[in-house]
Amino acid sequence: MAEHHTASDCKHKTSSNAGGSVSGNGRPNSPAGCGGSGGLSGGLTQPAGWQSLLSFTILFLAWLAGFSSRLFAVIRFESIIHEFDPWFNYRSTHHLTTNGFYEFLNWFDERAWYPLGRIVGGTVYPGLMVTAGLIHYILNLLHVTVHIRDVCVFLAPVFSGLTAISTFLLTRELWNQGAGLLAACFIAIVPGYISRSVAGSFDNEGIAIFALQFTYYLWVKSVKTGSVFWAIGCCLSYFYMVSAWGGYVFIINLIPLHVFALLLMQRFSRRLYIAYSTFYIVGLVLSMQIPFVGFQPIRTSEHMAAAGVFALLQAYAFLQYLKDRLTRQEFQTLFFLGVSLAAGVVFLTVIYLTYTGESHLPVMLRYAKIHIPIIASVSEHQPTTWVSFFFDLHILVCTFPAGLWFCIKNINDERVFVALYAISAVYFAGVMVRLMLTLTPVVCMLSAIAFSSVFEHYLGDDMKRENPPAEDSKQDRPEEGLGPNIKSIVTMLMLMLLMMFAVHCTWVTSNAYSSPSVVLASYNHDGSRNILDDFREAYYWLRQNTDEHARVMSWWDYGYQIAGMANRTTLVDNNTWNNSHIALVGKAMSSNESAAYEIMKSLDVDYVLIIFGGVIGYSGDDINKFLWMVRIAEGEHPKDIRESDYFTPQGEFRVDKAGSPTLLNCLMYKMSYYRFGPYTRLDFRTPPGFDRTRNAEIGNKDIRLKHLEEAFTSEHWLVRIYRVKKQENRQALDHKLRNIAAKQKYTSKKVLPSLFH
Amino acid sequence: MQRSLIACFFRASLCAEGLVNEDVKRTLDLSSHLAKITAEIQLANHGASRVNGFTLALEAELAPHLAFIGVKGEEEEDESLELKETTVHGQSGKFFEAQLPSSLAPGAKLRVKVETVFSHVLKPFPTHITQAERQLVVFQGNHYLYSPYPTRSQTTRVRLASKTVESYTKLGNPTKSDETVEYGPFKDVPPFSQDAMKIHYENNTPFLSISSITRTVEVSHWGNIAVEETIDLRHTGAYLKGPFSRYDYQRQSDSGISSVKSFKTILPASAQDVYYRDEIGNISTSHLQVLDDSVEVEIRPRFPLFGGWKTHYIVGYNLPSYEYLYNLGDQYALKLRLVDHVYDDQVIDQLTVKLILPEGARNIHMDTPYPITRSQDELHYTYLDTFGRPVLVATKNNLVEQHIQDVVVHYTFNKILMLQEPLLVVGAFYILFFTVIIYVRLDFSITKDPAAEVRMKVASITEQVLTLVNKRLGLYRHMDEVVNRYKQTRDTGALNSGRKTLEAEHRTLSNDISALQARLKSEGSDLAEKVGEIQKLDNQLKDLVCRSCQEAERLVAGKVKKDTYIDSDKTLSGKRQELVSRIDSLLDAL
Repeated sequence: MAEHHTASDCKHKTSSNAGGSVSGNGRPNSPAGCGGSGGLSGGLTQPAGWQSLLSFTILFLAWLAGFSSRLFAVIRFESIIHEFDPWFNYRSTHHLTTNGFYEFLNWFDERAWYPLGRIVGGTVYPGLMVTAGLIHYILNLLHVTVHIRDVCVFLAPVFSGLTAISTFLLTRELWNQGAGLLAACFIAIVPGYISRSVAGSFDNEGIAIFALQFTYYLWVKSVKTGSVFWAIGCCLSYFYMVSAWGGYVFIINLIPLHVFALLLMQRFSRRLYIAYSTFYIVGLVLSMQIPFVGFQPIRTSEHMAAAGVFALLQAYAFLQYLKDRLTRQEFQTLFFLGVSLAAGVVFLTVIYLTYTGESHLPVMLRYAKIHIPIIASVSEHQPTTWVSFFFDLHILVCTFPAGLWFCIKNINDERVFVALYAISAVYFAGVMVRLMLTLTPVVCMLSAIAFSSVFEHYLGDDMKRENPPAEDSKQDRPEEGLGPNIKSIVTMLMLMLLMMFAVHCTWVTSNAYSSPSVVLASYNHDGSRNILDDFREAYYWLRQNTDEHARVMSWWDYGYQIAGMANRTTLVDNNTWNNSHIALVGKAMSSNESAAYEIMKSLDVDYVLIIFGGVIGYSGDDINKFLWMVRIAEGEHPKDIRESDYFTPQGEFRVDKAGSPTLLNCLMYKMSYYRFGPYTRLDFRTPPGFDRTRNAEIGNKDIRLKHLEEAFTSEHWLVRIYRVKKQENRQALDHKLRNIAAKQKYTSKKVLPSLFH
Repeated sequence: MQRSLIACFFRASLCAEGLVNEDVKRTLDLSSHLAKITAEIQLANHGASRVNGFTLALEAELAPHLAFIGVKGEEEEDESLELKETTVHGQSGKFFEAQLPSSLAPGAKLRVKVETVFSHVLKPFPTHITQAERQLVVFQGNHYLYSPYPTRSQTTRVRLASKTVESYTKLGNPTKSDETVEYGPFKDVPPFSQDAMKIHYENNTPFLSISSITRTVEVSHWGNIAVEETIDLRHTGAYLKGPFSRYDYQRQSDSGISSVKSFKTILPASAQDVYYRDEIGNISTSHLQVLDDSVEVEIRPRFPLFGGWKTHYIVGYNLPSYEYLYNLGDQYALKLRLVDHVYDDQVIDQLTVKLILPEGARNIHMDTPYPITRSQDELHYTYLDTFGRPVLVATKNNLVEQHIQDVVVHYTFNKILMLQEPLLVVGAFYILFFTVIIYVRLDFSITKDPAAEVRMKVASITEQVLTLVNKRLGLYRHMDEVVNRYKQTRDTGALNSGRKTLEAEHRTLSNDISALQARLKSEGSDLAEKVGEIQKLDNQLKDLVCRSCQEAERLVAGKVKKDTYIDSDKTLSGKRQELVSRIDSLLDAL
């Protein structure tokens, strides 16, 4: 046992050693340690054997920890697809597994965006579906009869393990093995990444972060070695990333940025030239194979940086070549010629791009964010607050600048890369909450480097001090002014921070990111749990008891869920590509009933589905989202809908008596509060018709619907579905009307007899 | 009436049997959504010869709805009689030939009880009702017993679901009290007589029917039987017209009175791991109650079922196989219910049973309690299967509670096949580990990298150097101990022998290190110089050790004072410390 201990101590030492080179420098107290005179035979007696065993164990445990901490939702609820977008992904994966790959690529989904439909195969990143479908196919080939739903639910947790491993590899290339292991452990449990990869959140990001990290690892590796092999590997990984997530643009900009920075820093080498040339050409061709991406890589401005850097690199290499061949004088003339030529080319390109209007994309994005409400209405497009940085990254957000500083201090080719990665990711994460995801891996890596360096310094010296023979250490010499107490205090402090980090991660995962949001749970005073399954109740009702081709109108948030769970045609969904269509739905919701009926008739709507939280106090309901509907509708139909109409003269949005009459008579209000007036006297302190979400007694209690009728309301009133009445048969025309009709001079007389007889 | 008389004329042979229904008591139970008609018949043989069987007849209007027919003797414990479907020439309807256990002598009498169950014969009228309305249904039947034999006397008693009756046919001035209507007695009714009975009454019992059920039973010889039922449920009562108001449904107790909120399914007592779900996940609105002799699941569909609404769900559970699977050597018999309880008074329009037997089961033979259509056997592949499990598929339409009976499946299974699955797992792991071993041990690169090879060689040499140097430092430490002991015991012999061993071992170690150093040099590594440096430092270190040894000798011999000794010892050990740390740093650099 003792032997084991000393041996593993040696291991720890080596693993935290710079460069990861094999060197058994830990001198054991007993002669029989890692020395080889022990009884253990073969690989385990060698430090290298221990090293790989320990790394393997740590990585395996990181995988396990990452996997299991993502299972809160499955254990608390069930194996179910979460939220909104995953439902679409699940539905497409289901389509893929039942109909095959080519059917999937050619899939025209007539159940979405009625009456337009959606060409799914050409408008998705198929990587996620293909990955899940492939796993399902292989498992079924081996007769492991797993349902595709379970594959989809557990895909993200499994991939989080792969992310941990690729982060380990990348960090090992950047710093050393010890930092790599720390980084793997960090990324396995950090909430910033868990938020997008819990079991059931079957989304692109779940696999894309793995692809991102792995691509970067292969890139660093190919820059380091200058081998075409690694560069091709990087291209393949990049191809996978392109197929999985739109965030591939981050890679195709960061890698050229790295190359450019290296050129500026006079770090050009043949390795870099080989790596980038291979990557750009093969990567470009591969990325264009994805139908959704198509010719974008050679057309749009966000890919232009890569092309520019490619040209620059070729020019630079050419100049280097000429420099060897020409005299100084000749070279100078050529240089000026080249520079002026290049300037001319750049000028022409800029003019061309301005002419075609492509280069305005960033400006347009900014414009869109301010002026198109639909983009602003999505909560994950909001700027990140400081709180959420700490919430998602905890101690890492404080330590990663230290890691960055370590990297910059000991700069080399690949550390330039990680520095650029960190800086750009910080910028993006600050712009949009959702891009926190790209920041998380680099924060984990840099924090790991910081922690690893600190531990190496403090723990390492500690061990050395213990190592010399006993009588030698009798004379204590102060080493570098740091006493053993300070060292142990620092170590303890660091360990404590890490422990608190782990606790925080688990807490955040459990409380913030593990709710399926399809199923709600409430807790009673005695701790027992009530499950509110209203969404599925209503969706399943739609699935079972409406016509197969019924068209359901709802706000776009629920489009994917209706398509996935109710299997019915929707008008708008979470793929918000058609703003005017959404605005039309918003207009119907915010108009009065008869105006809305005209719109619904023109859109062939059979059912209208709304979410209403007034009975149980669910705050994410449609009345609370209502202003966005009004704004989006106003953007397209400014004549009919005005946001100001829905506010009180004081500028408040109120649902009670003081609310604006337009609001109290609009379709959304009527549908939400239909037959709600006399209801909810759950406790006697509140008047009837008391809305628990908005804490107000509703202003319009006597709601009558003319063109709609209640078709279904779920148990807790969370989902209400209305049927749009078909137009009634024309009543038999009575005598008076006949007179009026006869006055119409332009009516053909030939038709008249057949009309009235 | 006339028609049937003529028919009787043609069917002289039947009448010639001389059987007569002496006394008939019919009971029509219409209180649920099924029509359960029981007739207690006293048969008398008025013919001349013994009679071995008799014929039962069903009206042509009701016959297609027949779910179950059974004939029993008078006593409760009597076995039910065997029935065979026959045709009667010239008569419409359905006919069954019942075999008597012992033939009936001329003049003898016999009491039998005929039990029939009809599904979907109660028609809702009006066919569409609103949520607040009550459900009214119409039953159309026969006032008389439909029989190929003349009937002397009969009464008919109709039990309804409620007191509210809109209308009923008034043949023979029936008496109505509370929930029953009694007809008769009718005397001397000729054979095959029919007279339309029509009752229109309120019936709010849930008109629930299973439009299709697929029951999959997977038998594992590892001790488990997994049962899964996929059920399509439909409310076949009056359709809901107009809106469904949750407010009314929650506030008024009689709103939607004919709708189905929940029902109970009774599972076998040993059922475990019960699940209740559908395509979009677990249905959270259910309760499980474990009783002594059964497991009760309160199944609540996601939404209440109103007329015309349907739902679809899956219920599954595991059973221990020892209760259902019997074997004698390689002979196995599986005995379990062909169809199980879903709800009381259940109606199953279509049943599909799939029995998945273990891989390798042969000579399969199925004994069903009643005729059932067998389809082509299938193969099923699941975990660790290679050539597939045989699946018996059987279908049957229109089943009711009376069909909950056991099926027995016999098959042979070679027990050696049990080992197949563990061996597969073992084999897979073996191959995996073997591949890893091969991959790690062998060099698969297509190019030779001499630099890497040299690096690895150097690494292994430095490894050895490190070990040796550490050992050598250990020697010094050991020597120190010897010197210390010498200072206490003043045993010169021990000191000298210690010094000798030190010298000897030190020499061999130093030689080894020099050899390694030479090898490093030949590999062209610059580490050789560092090793040389270590050797130099080591020489100094050894001198110091020898000197401290001599000093100790001198101290013991009394040649130096203690103070001076301590001083010199301090300086010596200081120097040694320095040398050791320098060697350490060199070692680190290796």
